Amino acid sequence: MLINGNGPNIYINGAGVISPQQTYDNEAFLPEVTEYGGNVLTCIQPNFKDYINPFQMRRLSRMLRMGLSAATICLQNARLETPDAIITATGYGFQEDMGKFLLEILQQNEQQLTPTYFMQSTYNALSGLIALTVKCMGYNNTYAGRGFAFETAVQDAMLLVREKEAENVLVGSFDQAHHVQYSDYARLGYVKKEKTSNLKLFESRTQGTLQGEGMAFFTVSGQAFPHSWCLLQSLHTVYRPADFPFLCEELTDFLQANGIGPEDIDVFVNGASGDIVRDKWSMELRKKFFSHAAEVLFKHLTGEYATASSFGVWLGARILKTRTIPESVLADPATSGRPLRTVLVCNHFLDRNYSFFLLTGRTPSIST
Amino acid sequence: MNRRVFITGYGIITAIGSNGPENFASLRNERSGYGRLDFLQTVHRDEIYCCEIKLSDDALCRYAGVPTKAGFSRTTLLGLIAAREAIDSAGLTEAETTSAGLVSATTAGGIRELESYYYELQDPESTGDFLAFLDTGDPGEHTERMADILNMKRYLATVSTACASAANSIIFGARLIANGLADIMICGGSEALSKVTINGFNSLKILDRDLCKPFDHNRNGLNLGEGAGFLVLEAEERLGHPGKKAIAELCGYASLNDAFHQTASSPEGTGTLQAMRKALAMGGIAPEDVDYINAHGTGTENNDLSEGLSVRALFKDQVPPFSSTKPYTGHTTSAAGSVEAAFCLMGFEHDAIFPNLNFSRPMEELGIRPVTELRPGAGLRYILSNSLGFGGSTTSLLFAKC
Repeated sequence: MLINGNGPNIYINGAGVISPQQTYDNEAFLPEVTEYGGNVLTCIQPNFKDYINPFQMRRLSRMLRMGLSAATICLQNARLETPDAIITATGYGFQEDMGKFLLEILQQNEQQLTPTYFMQSTYNALSGLIALTVKCMGYNNTYAGRGFAFETAVQDAMLLVREKEAENVLVGSFDQAHHVQYSDYARLGYVKKEKTSNLKLFESRTQGTLQGEGMAFFTVSGQAFPHSWCLLQSLHTVYRPADFPFLCEELTDFLQANGIGPEDIDVFVNGASGDIVRDKWSMELRKKFFSHAAEVLFKHLTGEYATASSFGVWLGARILKTRTIPESVLADPATSGRPLRTVLVCNHFLDRNYSFFLLTGRTPSIST
Repeated sequence: MNRRVFITGYGIITAIGSNGPENFASLRNERSGYGRLDFLQTVHRDEIYCCEIKLSDDALCRYAGVPTKAGFSRTTLLGLIAAREAIDSAGLTEAETTSAGLVSATTAGGIRELESYYYELQDPESTGDFLAFLDTGDPGEHTERMADILNMKRYLATVSTACASAANSIIFGARLIANGLADIMICGGSEALSKVTINGFNSLKILDRDLCKPFDHNRNGLNLGEGAGFLVLEAEERLGHPGKKAIAELCGYASLNDAFHQTASSPEGTGTLQAMRKALAMGGIAPEDVDYINAHGTGTENNDLSEGLSVRALFKDQVPPFSSTKPYTGHTTSAAGSVEAAFCLMGFEHDAIFPNLNFSRPMEELGIRPVTELRPGAGLRYILSNSLGFGGSTTSLLFAKC
């Protein structure tokens, strides 16, 4: 389903990202890269005290702290106090707290349980917490549809702007690396069997990826400001494409509906996960359509998680805002010297959920 | 583009029936699904009664037309059964179903299966049928399974906003149609009972150990239930199709946040008042046009006071007939919004208001009484349905009879 093919301009006006890399500081753009050797990448946390008052903080789990901080960083970056609507997205939610509650149930034979973990593990706990903190009584929603959760949240945000239901929407993702999921993923062959450094992820050429986590918040609006990042042009999702030609057709149709072709893409942000089996179509898309474009990879920085496409969008938006591509994400240092105007983020989650986000520089080079 | 959105079919499974007609018969006969838990393994089964669907997982697999032992969580099975009935009742062809989008809501998802096999799933050496439940604990899994079985791969989304989830999934589907992005959407929610849900609500001390008594002075908490409800939403242009008849129009809705407390509604019902107002404004109707309110009415101290005060604030001395259907099905949490939407549609079809069971004494703070006897020939044209959830989620749907 094509969102916003002919709709109004929608801008990303701010972002706040906490990830396994130094990303929460909006002044620097991937200044250094952190190496992880244990197949699990976890977030580099900011100083929470900078964003959350101490009374509130005591009661919050690590995930809620990170989520609230990312949302706060985003609002500050967008120079916005209170958004009109809040939408969050997660694949697996607050796994740690849910796990603690579940374990207490099993270990204490369902007796003498405290509600804290239960309350804090409801999927909309973060969107509710942000609403409570910034006093936003507007639209509030949470999507928890695995590899499409962030995509649905962004579609909803774009619809709200288009419906004039909200001027500024705060939309963000959160997911957590957790051992229960890791053991499931190991059995299913989703994570690599052999220890692999994240910095060598794309040289590994083996099955499986690395487990990651992260949170990424954005404000989107129909209004542009001097501090705006880029235009969020359109997005499209494809669930379990029947074959590669079908996926190609979905992609070209999507670009065509936005009035462009593959040749107009300057930067191809490839959501390949370093899994030799499941990355096949992502890599083929790149070869078939985008060999002229600069290719950007990011899951060696973040690991894989259900809402990782949000990091890809942040990366694309940051590239457009700064008009630079950090070396650490550039797949081939010798890529073209094309101007950085149009970015396609093409993500896949477990070769099941494919999504395309089209971003353009703030002054659109393409007439819509 | 701002197209009107109509409801052309629905499906439902709860403790009071495995399909629409069975549910209607129970509502009409004032039969509650409350009783001892037979299928969920919990130490609380002798002290905490719930509204459980009296079908085993294997029986549900057969009913849903899927193989047993293939990793279908109970939540997925309930969702499939209700969605299939919805598709049939709207008379959608296979091609129409494939072209439709699916939005499903849940909080529990496959947590029931995860808690049953927690240790086995953690042990890399263990083997058995439970391995089919690897990676089925999250909410999104059930939507993907449903989409796979129903061959609805064109568009899928999963909502999880606690007890307002299914109402929000209906709204999202309606907006996709209204904005011209889809013509047919199948929207609803599904939720199976689990130890996590029962112990979670129990730890919050909001479970009534007896039948729940919404809006009663002596109310003492909620009863939990399980179930699923799905609606077929279609764009107005599609109503011209031969044989296509709409039951109701979704003519107004609002979803917002109460922004008061993580697990409680504001005592004066600010959020609910705002949501009802917005839904009425969108539908372009005045409060006096509302013929019935299907209240969230869980039976907890906090909910019924907060919701009741918001109803008083909006309707003043002319509170329309209202009732909570939670005493029949229990609180089906994330599925409640779509389960109760199905009840509103039955209300239109049979022009009846279903009574609020177990009510005897009005709350002093409110001084209003819900409908306590079946009211046939109610002349229903507009129905409001509220859903409120943890995290401050507040949703109101407004249906107009077709």
